Amino acid sequence: MRNGTAAKFRRDLTILIVLSVVYLGAAWFVTNSYYQLILTLVPIWAAFGVSWNILSGYGGQLSFGHASFFGIGGYTMTLALVYWNLTPWLGIPLGMVVGGLAAVVIGTPTFRLRGHYFALSMLAYPLAILYFLQYLGFQEMSLPMHRENPALYLEFSDPRFYTLVAVGLLAMAVLVCILVENSRFGLALLAVRQNELAAEAAGIDSKAWKMRALIVSGMIASGAGGLYACVQLVVTPDSVFGMLVSAQPVVLTLFGGVASLWGPVIGAAFLVPLSKGLDATVGTFLPGIQGVVYGAAVIAIILLAPDGVYWTLRDKFFTKKTPVAIPNASRPDRLVNASVTAGVALMKVDGLSKNFGGLRAVSNVSFEIAEGEILGIIGPNGAGKTTLFNLLNGVLPPSSGSATIGGVSLVGRKVHQICHMGVGRTFQVVRSFPRLPLIDNVMVGAYGAGGVSDQDAADAAIHALHRTGLADLAGVEAGNLTNKQLRLMELARALAGRPRLLLLDETLAGLGREECEDILDVLKRLREEGMTICIIEHTMHAMLRIADRFVVLDHGAVLASGPPREVVENREVIEAYLGKKFLAAQNA
Amino acid sequence: MTQITRRTALAGAAALAGSRAARAADPAEVKIAMMVPLSGPWARSGLLEQMGARMAVDDINAAGGIKSLGGAKIKLVEFDAGDSAEKAKDAAQRMVAQEPDLAGGFGAWLSSFTLAITEVTERAELPWMTLSYSDAITGRGFKYVFQSSPTADAQAAEVVPIIMKLAEKATGKKPTKVAIVGDNSASSMSFYKPLKDHVFKEQGLTLVVDEVFAPPLSDATSIVQKLRSGKPDFVLLQSTNVGDDKLLVEKFAEFGLSAKKMPLIGGGGHWCAPELTKLTAPENVEGVIVALADWPGKKAAELGKRFVERTKEPWFGHDSIFAYAHVSILAAAIDMAKSADRHKVAAALHSMDLTTGPADLFPDGHVSYDEKGRRKGAQLCVVQYHNGVPMPVFPESIATTPAFWPKSS
Repeated sequence: MRNGTAAKFRRDLTILIVLSVVYLGAAWFVTNSYYQLILTLVPIWAAFGVSWNILSGYGGQLSFGHASFFGIGGYTMTLALVYWNLTPWLGIPLGMVVGGLAAVVIGTPTFRLRGHYFALSMLAYPLAILYFLQYLGFQEMSLPMHRENPALYLEFSDPRFYTLVAVGLLAMAVLVCILVENSRFGLALLAVRQNELAAEAAGIDSKAWKMRALIVSGMIASGAGGLYACVQLVVTPDSVFGMLVSAQPVVLTLFGGVASLWGPVIGAAFLVPLSKGLDATVGTFLPGIQGVVYGAAVIAIILLAPDGVYWTLRDKFFTKKTPVAIPNASRPDRLVNASVTAGVALMKVDGLSKNFGGLRAVSNVSFEIAEGEILGIIGPNGAGKTTLFNLLNGVLPPSSGSATIGGVSLVGRKVHQICHMGVGRTFQVVRSFPRLPLIDNVMVGAYGAGGVSDQDAADAAIHALHRTGLADLAGVEAGNLTNKQLRLMELARALAGRPRLLLLDETLAGLGREECEDILDVLKRLREEGMTICIIEHTMHAMLRIADRFVVLDHGAVLASGPPREVVENREVIEAYLGKKFLAAQNA
Repeated sequence: MTQITRRTALAGAAALAGSRAARAADPAEVKIAMMVPLSGPWARSGLLEQMGARMAVDDINAAGGIKSLGGAKIKLVEFDAGDSAEKAKDAAQRMVAQEPDLAGGFGAWLSSFTLAITEVTERAELPWMTLSYSDAITGRGFKYVFQSSPTADAQAAEVVPIIMKLAEKATGKKPTKVAIVGDNSASSMSFYKPLKDHVFKEQGLTLVVDEVFAPPLSDATSIVQKLRSGKPDFVLLQSTNVGDDKLLVEKFAEFGLSAKKMPLIGGGGHWCAPELTKLTAPENVEGVIVALADWPGKKAAELGKRFVERTKEPWFGHDSIFAYAHVSILAAAIDMAKSADRHKVAAALHSMDLTTGPADLFPDGHVSYDEKGRRKGAQLCVVQYHNGVPMPVFPESIATTPAFWPKSS
C-alpha cells in the first residue's frame, strides 16, 4: 500500500462491501430465473471488465484479445470437469493458474510490440485458439449434470446462488484492482501508459510491470470465464473465444470509465441488462434488431460522455475544488550533498557517436561533467542535443564511444537501469497523469529509484516537492496545474528518484520571462544543495545566468566548450547560431 | 446498480403474476413450447417446423382438444433459437423463466442448439422432444429428452450400406472410394465418427476426400478441386443449412460435378427444404440422394395435401412432419397423463407405445421411447430428387419411386 492512499483504500473498500450487500439483498427477491441469470452475468462481465482495465486501462496496453484468457478459464474448467470430474470449485482456480501461465506465453513475444501493433496482435490469440479447439473437436462442450451433491460441483437449482458466487468473484477482482490502484503497481502502470520512455527514464522497468499486469489481468479474466461457463452450462469456442467476447470488456470499460475502479462495474450494470433485455423484448419479434439498439445506445453514451460515465459524473459533480495539503508537509532541512567534491568529474563522455544510416547525429563527442556544476549543452536546432541525451540515458545505443558515471559504463544498459545508477531525466514534452494528485505524479519517480519502501518513496516525493517549491500543491490534480508548475513537477519527479545527475531537456521551453526566473531560482538552489545538472536549452540569456560551463554542439560535433562568456564570444559559435552574414555585419 | 436490480425484480414479479393470472382465467388451455431457429442461417428449417406445428395445433384443437382434460385447447408458445448455441440456450433460459406452466416442448432443430437448450430444459424437468440427430443429445443420461430421429451414429451405420446396394444395382460394381464434405456442427461430427471408425472399413471403402468446414461456408471452390482430383465414387454431404447446400451444389454444377455425374448423398432435412430448389436451378439438385430421419409416406398423404394447400409450400417434408408429429405426440401424452403437469407428461412419454395416430407419421409406424429417450426402431429414410421434387425411395413402407444411380464417367 502506498502512502497517503489509506483513506481512499478504506473508502473504496466500504463502497465495495456496501454495493455487494445491497446488490445481493436486492437479487434475493428476484425469483424469475431469467432475470436472475442477468443478475449473475452482470458481476461476471464486470469482473472481466475489471481484468481488462488493469492491463489496458491503467497500463494502457490496449488488448483486443482478452477473450484468450476468458476462454482459457472456461475451457480449462470444462475440460477438467468432463475428463477428470474435477469440481469447478477447483477447476476455476486451475483455469486461473493456466490463464496466468498463458499470460506469460502470450506476453513474452507480444510485449515486443507497442501501440496498435500490440492491440492487433492480441486479437490473433483468441481466434487462433478458437480454430484450434474446433480442430480438436471441442466445438460443443456441455457441462455434465451432477444429480448427487450438485453444490459440490457448483450446480444450484436456485439460481440466486450463482449470483452470490459471481458477486464474490467480482468483489475479489475489485479488491485486486483496489490494491493495484493504491500501490506502486498502479502508479507504474499509469506511468507506462502515459509514456513508456519517460517511465523508463524515471527508473520503471516497464516490461516487468506490463507482464505483471497481464498475468494479474489474465488470471481474473480466466476466473470470470470459468464461472461464465458454469452458468452457461454449454461452452463453444465462439461463446468464450469469439470476437464479441473480446469486445465485451472493451465496450463495458469504455462506457463506464477507463482506468477507474468502478468503470467496468458501471458499464456492466447498465449494458448487460440492456442487451439481455433487448434480446428478450424487441429481439423476439424482430430478431437481430437488439444489436442495432444496443449499438446506438453505446454510441450515444460515448458521444455524451467520451471519458466514460464515471469520469464524466465525477468531473461534473465531485471535483475537489480546494487543494488538499499533504500531511506532515513540514519543510525538511536543507539538503546539502556533503559527498560532493567540486571539480571531480561525475560523468565522462568519450568519443560518443551515433549514426542513423548515413546521418551522423552525434559525432565523436567528448566532455566531462564535474560534480556540483551546471553544464549547459547548447546548439542550434538539429545539432544533436536531444540525441546526445538519449545516448546518455540509454534510450539509444551509441554506435561507438563510451560514457561513464562515477566510473561505471552506461553503454548497453537499459533506460531504467541507468536511472537506478543515478541519472534522472526530464523530457521536452511534459507527461503528467492529469487525474492523479501532484504528489502521486512525483511518487512515480520516487518508486523508480528501485528498492525503496513505500515510506521512503513518500518521503522522497515530499522532499522533491519542497525542493521545487510545490509542496503546497501536493494534493492538486496535475490536470489543474499551470505550465510552469508542470515543468517543476517534472523536475520534482526526476529529483524524487534521488539522482546524482539531472539531465534536463529544454525545461524552460515555452515559458515567459518571469516563469523562467522562478525555475532558474529552483535550479540555482539545487546547485547550492550539491546537485549536478546537465541542461539543454535554447534560451541563451537564461543559460548565461545559470550555467557554469557550456558545451556547444553543431552538426553532432562539439564546436566549443568552456565558461559561458568565452563560448558566446567564440566566432564559430556565433556563426553556427546566427550565420556568416551576421558575423560579417558585426565586423563591418 | 441497485436501481436496476429493483426494477428487474419488479419486472420479474410482474411477469410471474401475469402468467398466473392468465392461467387462472383460462384453465382449459395447455401450453407447449416450440423453440426453433427463426433467425439466422437455420431460420428456413425453423419456419418449416413452425408451419407443421401450427397446423398440428389447429388440427388438434379443431378435433376437440385434449379429451381427458375436458377438451382443453393447446396453445403453442414460440421461441426463436437464433443463430448460435449461446443464443438458443439464453432463449431456453428465458422460456423456462417466463412460461412456468409449460407441459412440454420441442426443438431446436440443429443438434448444437438442442444440446444447449436441453441442458436448461432438463434442469427445469420439462419434457423436450427433438428431431436433432446427434447421439450426444440422448447420451447424457437425461430423463426428460425424447429423440424421435435415428441418431447420427445409427444413420451413419445405416446409410452407407443402403447407398452401396443402390450403386451396385445400378452399375454392377461396388464403389471403393468415398468423400466426406460437411460442416463441424455437433450432428455432423457425430455422423463422421462411426463412418471413420468402422463403417467405411466394413464396406471396403477408402476415404479419398475429407473436407470439414465451419458453417456458414464462404466458398466451395477448394472443395471442388479436391473432389476432382480425388475422384470418389460418391460424396457424403454433411452440411446443415440450405445456404451451404446451395453453395455446394452450384459450385459442383459449375465444375461439372452435378449429381448426374457424381453421386451426391446429402444428409439431413434441409436438403429437402423447398427453399433449395427456389434458390438454385432445379437441375443442380436433380438426382441428389438425401438420407434423413423422416419423410411422409402413403399414410400421411392426405395430411401432406392439406399442408401444401394451407402453406403454399411445394411439398410436405422432413421438418414440417416432425413438428406436426411432436405436437401430436405431446398432445397424446397429455391426454394419457390426464394432466398438463410436466412430470406426468414425461412419465406418459416414457410409457407410451403408439401404433396409430402420430405413429403414422413415421416410416416404421411406431412411437415409443427407450430409457435413454430414443425412439425405438427409428428408421432412416432416403429420398431422391426427381424432376425437382424429392421422392421417397427407401424404406419400402414409404417408397413411391425406384432410385436411380448416376452413371459416373
